[in-house]
Amino acid sequence: MDLESKYEISRTADFIRSNNFVRVALQFPDELLKVSTLVAKALKSELGRGVRLFVMADTAYGSCCVDEVSASHVDAECLIHYGHACMSPTTTLPAFFVFGKASIDVTDCVQSLHHCLSTSHKPILVLFGLEYAHALQNIKSVSAAALPFDGSSPMIQYAKVASSIIYPSGDSNGRNGCDGNGRNGCDGNGRNGCDGNGRNGCDSDGLNWHDIVVQSHGDNHKIPKSDGNSNLRTDTKYGLGGLKWCIPVDYKINEYLFFWIGSEDSAFSNFVLTFNNCEIVRYDAEERQLREDFSHQKKTLMRRYYLVEKAKDANIVGILVGTLAVAGYRKTINQMKELIEVSGKKSYILVMGRPNSAKLANFPECDIFVYVSCAQTALLDSKEFLAPVITPFEAVLAFSRGKEWTGEYMLEFRDLIVSSPVGVSHMDEARFSFIKGGYVEDVQFHESGCKQNEDSLALAEPAMKALSLSSQPSDYILFKGSARSGADFFAARSFQGLKMQYENPSVSSYIVGRSGRAAGYKDEKMQENCSA
Amino acid sequence: MVKFTAEELRRIMDLKHNIRNMSVIAHVDHGKSTLTDSLVAAAGIIAQEVAGDVRMTDTRADEAERGITIKSTGISLYYEMTAESLKSFKGERVGNEYLINLIDSPGHVDFSSEVTAALRITDGALVVVDCVEGVCVQTETVLRQALGERIRPVLTVNKMDRCFLELQVEGEEAYQTFQRVIENANVIMATYEDPLLGDVQVYPEKGTVAFSAGLHGWAFTLTNFAKMYASKFGVDESKMMERLWGENFFDPATKKWTSKNTGTPTCKRGFVQFCYEPIKQIIKACINDQKDKLWPMLSKLGVVMKNDEKELVGKALMKRVMQTWLPASTALLEMMIFHLPSPSKAQRYRVENLYEGPLDDQYANAIRNCDPDGPLMLYVSKMIPASDKGRFFAFGRVFAGKVSTGLKVRIMGPNYVPGQKKDLYVKSVQRTVIWMGKKQESVEDVPCGNTVALVGLDQFITKNATLTNEKEVDAHPIRAMKFSVSPVVRVAVSCKVASDLPKLVEGLKRLAKSDPMVVCTIEESGEHIVAGAGELHLEICLKDLQEDFMGGAEISVSDPVVSFRETVLEKSSRTVMSKSPNKHNRLYMEARPLEDGLAEAIDDGRIGPRDDPKVRSKILSEEFGWDKDLAKKIWCFGPETTGPNMVVDMCKGVQYLNEIKDSVVAGFQWASKEGALAEENMRGICFEVCDVVLHADAIHRGGGQVIPTARRVIYASQLTAKPRLLEPVYLVEIQAPEQALGGIYGVLNQKRGHVFEEMQRPGTPLYNIKAYLPVVESFGFSGTLRAATSGQAFPQCVFDHWDMMSSDPLDPTTQAAALVADIRKRKGLKIQMTPLSDFEDKL
Repeated sequence: MDLESKYEISRTADFIRSNNFVRVALQFPDELLKVSTLVAKALKSELGRGVRLFVMADTAYGSCCVDEVSASHVDAECLIHYGHACMSPTTTLPAFFVFGKASIDVTDCVQSLHHCLSTSHKPILVLFGLEYAHALQNIKSVSAAALPFDGSSPMIQYAKVASSIIYPSGDSNGRNGCDGNGRNGCDGNGRNGCDGNGRNGCDSDGLNWHDIVVQSHGDNHKIPKSDGNSNLRTDTKYGLGGLKWCIPVDYKINEYLFFWIGSEDSAFSNFVLTFNNCEIVRYDAEERQLREDFSHQKKTLMRRYYLVEKAKDANIVGILVGTLAVAGYRKTINQMKELIEVSGKKSYILVMGRPNSAKLANFPECDIFVYVSCAQTALLDSKEFLAPVITPFEAVLAFSRGKEWTGEYMLEFRDLIVSSPVGVSHMDEARFSFIKGGYVEDVQFHESGCKQNEDSLALAEPAMKALSLSSQPSDYILFKGSARSGADFFAARSFQGLKMQYENPSVSSYIVGRSGRAAGYKDEKMQENCSA
Repeated sequence: MVKFTAEELRRIMDLKHNIRNMSVIAHVDHGKSTLTDSLVAAAGIIAQEVAGDVRMTDTRADEAERGITIKSTGISLYYEMTAESLKSFKGERVGNEYLINLIDSPGHVDFSSEVTAALRITDGALVVVDCVEGVCVQTETVLRQALGERIRPVLTVNKMDRCFLELQVEGEEAYQTFQRVIENANVIMATYEDPLLGDVQVYPEKGTVAFSAGLHGWAFTLTNFAKMYASKFGVDESKMMERLWGENFFDPATKKWTSKNTGTPTCKRGFVQFCYEPIKQIIKACINDQKDKLWPMLSKLGVVMKNDEKELVGKALMKRVMQTWLPASTALLEMMIFHLPSPSKAQRYRVENLYEGPLDDQYANAIRNCDPDGPLMLYVSKMIPASDKGRFFAFGRVFAGKVSTGLKVRIMGPNYVPGQKKDLYVKSVQRTVIWMGKKQESVEDVPCGNTVALVGLDQFITKNATLTNEKEVDAHPIRAMKFSVSPVVRVAVSCKVASDLPKLVEGLKRLAKSDPMVVCTIEESGEHIVAGAGELHLEICLKDLQEDFMGGAEISVSDPVVSFRETVLEKSSRTVMSKSPNKHNRLYMEARPLEDGLAEAIDDGRIGPRDDPKVRSKILSEEFGWDKDLAKKIWCFGPETTGPNMVVDMCKGVQYLNEIKDSVVAGFQWASKEGALAEENMRGICFEVCDVVLHADAIHRGGGQVIPTARRVIYASQLTAKPRLLEPVYLVEIQAPEQALGGIYGVLNQKRGHVFEEMQRPGTPLYNIKAYLPVVESFGFSGTLRAATSGQAFPQCVFDHWDMMSSDPLDPTTQAAALVADIRKRKGLKIQMTPLSDFEDKL
């Protein structure tokens, strides 16, 4: 496949031209860096002079996310993202996505699809990795031709790519900024522009699909199409990771068989976890095989469940900033902070880029980390981590009393903001900890007296208290997670640095020191002068 | 049964000298519950209005079905002594009325936690021993437990009817059997010499041993007979009692007492002559339907039968006659009243065992004096599911003060530390309840010395707690109970319907509350685990979980899972080194097995992180041959800071070493919890830090660099020291007749068990077999054993020790390697172990 069609040079150029952007950042993941110059060159020749292109690589967080910070270093007005994308909405920059085109054997894929259709009695919903979006039309027509009845049969439905352009939603306008209605106005034009390329079907109403992400599989969360312009039938709309689809309102989502075309990547696991009670098969386009066993994905879910239980026992929580671009991230971080404080735990916000075991182990006082990032990089789990890392959704489950794990799962924190007005109801009952196998009690921070301020004294006070009391043996604090704050932990450490305080500092009057530069202090110059 | 109103019962509760709190303890199937029944039938207190339609024994359906007791049940008995019989009673008393709070406990070893909970709230114990089977394993275990709690025992030799009917033994032989039973029991009791408790051994001639037939509802102590004969011989009762036991012989021909058998055919031992023979004759007369002989004998004994009872024949007649002549309730209750301590007497010496705080503060004094006006001290020993689902009664004993409805109490949980707010609640008691048979009656208050059930506190008490008045902020809690069994058998439970998960979670919480021994946890893989003391215990727990605590929602239960331990066989073959992620720090370590017995010493708490270093180094150097200086260089224990592994600093003159100590310890806590083989806990490994090279800049040797490195180097040293798996092993005790031995050996061999002791019980055809059996193999063991011995053998399994599996888990062909693969698979890990090269670095 040639460069032009694979990287959609002309469409990209159209986008840039139509918006009159002059400084454009091109973001490549590591595996596509080798073609970056070729793409840039092709674009350049397409656009001609007047537009400056910047190639960016090596993002601080996941390469699936738009790296707004790097782009703003070059004052870019928009960003073209290449390769696998999580399609998380951006905060400040408009972004154009080029997914690339992976090769696929359409006939084989359709055969598998029909095989599924004949063996399963459920209607089928076809979903795909974004790199296979280009082949969808082809698959549709081949499938329709092969089937005896017409292609619009309710037995097979196809998801669509929501959009390949994302306009910023802004982080400042709070919760509304992420609501569906709040966004409709600002991106209507952009949406229509991209819909012109023939991918659109029933979405000409211009509703922003990104926001209609599944919140629950229950009936009460269905979002009926309210516009009612062309389509009188009410559909339930879903969207996830840049895909969107709608199913008739009289069907439930778990009555469908999901047919996923693509490799087993983070987009797929995001999907499997979100729709964990649905039947899913995956067609692997590279190996041309149908895979039906996702037991390890289920295991992942069980494992997450364990981590939630573990988080309930935590006293100190580290909030890891895993994105600086995804819309609403600051809101979420603040929300997490609030939630953690209300639940009587202590939180610290940590920015460390992509977490690894060494970085996390630098904060041994944290019993658990909450990783605020885009949906597809959110699942971080490694045996190497000293403390487990959970997602904001899991944090909400863990830190608000009375919330139960129901099997419902969410990875995108934006959904969390919409769906849960975070409230912590304090129940009077002791909490049962499955980690310890017994009832434990949560100590309420504000109960213990003064509400702590964010000033420097806040750290010093508990430190002094901890130093003077030290009623608990230090190994309980250090290794069994009974520290209540970082200061507690520090006070319990066997080594606290060289000379924390001067011993018996005696009062003495100040003396005037030397002034000037090291090359020649003022008094030295004077001496020189004297000697000369 | 005695009909009572709550007010009347409440009145007796104030008479602290007239209360006896006691538990019935014994080996499984020695007849505790049957004996209790016969007591309850005569003296049990029931509410007036429900008299007649209550059956005391009717508790859980599964108990009846299996014929074993599962939960301990408390029953109050009322007994009015005659003024005459009380004449010889020396202790304090008020009036002649007595309240006996009796707790029937299970005998099966799987439920011995119930026994522990029962013992805590009682002062005396009735030890029931089968006269044929004698003192068995569980008798010994519970007896030791009782004595550990300073519970005074009395003994009853039960199932006397077997002697007369089944075995038809002669008097002298029977005496020898009884004598042996009592001696065996005394051997155990003699080991607990306790100046405060005094002599706890039991003597028939002192009236602390009864002889009973629970099934037929009769029993006697030598007192009964002594009274009968004392006037006849013109000696006082105590003298007569002495003659009725031991080496005292009577020859009716010469009417002389001798201390030796004179050899004449008429000379018989006092016991045989005056106790055994008369009973035997009467029973014989009843069974053989010789009513012409029977009536004169009975009238001589002063036994009056009702007319309709005279029509009975055979066993029914015998039962009736014996019950009238020697009613079990009279004999046993009198024995309890005479020889078991009242709360006020018992708490005087039990306070040391009970109270954690200083023994001279007001709380200790209130307990010691059983002071109803003192501060409240109440120990909740178990939670009893209430009839409305999901709620529990907190059942316990008031040791001092009074607990009343509406009282605000401080609840000190098991993790409470005086002076802190941890595990501490202040809540008010909604209701105080006492049991009137099956029925609960609310009362205004309950004074010290009594058992009580509290409503409204169940949300704050997990399994047990100490309660005191709201204001008593400096009270220390009452010591936590120590259980003799540990939960070693585990299953994973999950709900069949995914949406039932909240129900399962709720059910598990309640299950954990309802049973002192069960532990509900969650695995790293997210599976819910229920752990119990044995297969039977788990079975009952799961049944409760599903039926009572989850409202019948379907659950699926995995095969039982056993946790293993990881250890090492030898010292590491070389010093291993790992580099930190930034390559600037290097840790050198070696692993070696801890000395024999040291891991156990750490388990028992003889050696631990809180020791005085001097004491610790003394024990280590004297018992385990450690170098004295080295003993001072122990950095930590782990996992959980108290486990049976340690890190020892062997470096010399390393700069900044104290800076990384915490980080190394953190890495060790982590690694020792999840060993390199199968992420099981480590056990019995000593890690020696041989050398450390650190970067000169503090920022490059922080926790982030050192913690992961310490973990890696610990794994590397474990893998180079011939790692091995340890499996848990049960001590199995089986009692069976000789013909069943073949079957037992067969089953044990097949299950990798080995017998280390086989002993015939003197005087019986029974053999006692002790064997070790891997816990893994124990599932279905009792079933197989029953099948192989046609139901004659019944095993009791208790966790005993960890046993090293000899095969090398690093060699993929061995059994240990297969086991490791299994565990890893179950835990959702990579089947392949991480190779040594991933943990060890080259220079």
